[in-house]
Amino acid sequence: MIGPGIKRGTAELAVLSVLEDGPLHGYEMARSIERQTQGSLRFTLASLYPLLYRLEKRGWVRGAWETSRTGRRRRCYRLTSEGKKRLSPIRKEWAELFRALKRLTKVSHA
Amino acid sequence: MRDWGALVEQRLAGLVLEPEERAEVIAEVSAHLEDICEEMLRQGMTEEEAVRRALSQAGDWKDLQRKILAAKRREQPMKKRVWQLWIPGFLTLILSTFFLMTLQQYGLQPRIVRSGSNTVLLYLPWLLSLPLFGALGAYVSSRAGGSRGIVILASAFPALALTGAFLFMSPFGLTIQLIMGRPVDFSRVATVLLKDGISWILVPGAALLAGGLLAHLLLSTRSSSRDTAIN
Repeated sequence: MIGPGIKRGTAELAVLSVLEDGPLHGYEMARSIERQTQGSLRFTLASLYPLLYRLEKRGWVRGAWETSRTGRRRRCYRLTSEGKKRLSPIRKEWAELFRALKRLTKVSHA
Repeated sequence: MRDWGALVEQRLAGLVLEPEERAEVIAEVSAHLEDICEEMLRQGMTEEEAVRRALSQAGDWKDLQRKILAAKRREQPMKKRVWQLWIPGFLTLILSTFFLMTLQQYGLQPRIVRSGSNTVLLYLPWLLSLPLFGALGAYVSSRAGGSRGIVILASAFPALALTGAFLFMSPFGLTIQLIMGRPVDFSRVATVLLKDGISWILVPGAALLAGGLLAHLLLSTRSSSRDTAIN
């Protein structure tokens, strides 16, 4: 069954998926998502940070200040074990949505 | 070198969080904008254009502020409501009531509109002051990140509180009179309620709302013009 929060789930899935490859700070995350989706998904400040703070409150990601080699401080986010656990059902839900849309498209073209 | 922290702090001035948490959010957003700006500079943009583009990434700063507050305070919806509605609402109510009492203390007489049985009393100087109190309520609520609806509710709070009091007290008073066996003239009661409703709810409510809406409009305009401004 596809949940009601599917739209908001797009952003959650994108962030959790990109963090699965390793810790990133906000800007890197936005760039990585944009690059990997060839510009189809773009995060603004207003869409990225409130989402990160919500995910952090839920305990799915954890942010910590780190200093880069250039001496800059950036807040890097990591996927927690709880976040990794949650990623799997979200992926399933999305796969179900894509299958449903595929079926619907076939029916529409028939 | 541009002070991104100061730019962001100015735009997120109404971010009511614990000082440490607020500083972290400002530092994080500043770092993000700095990275965007540097990327644009590497692409060959002028500094002015790069800064403008970076700042425009935030879109509506007021919206960003509200979303951050909502995300950070998700576990404390009551606290958020207190700062966005109850405190500005009661502030408007207390100040407007105190001002009316002060005017009455100095012998202000109400302006009588129509005489005879349809007399409506209007305290004109008090009514003229209400847009200011409405605007104050709207400003305080807006600073706490209140949405448009909450800001308007906060500005019209005194009229809403009086409506509540009327709705509660009128049936209560009638019931007492009926229990005590006194005759109740319902048409007279209805006339009194209507006149008092106009004097104490409708006209003051409209004045408060006018101030609240104007303040909200001004704050929104200022916020959106600041979004694209370069300091």
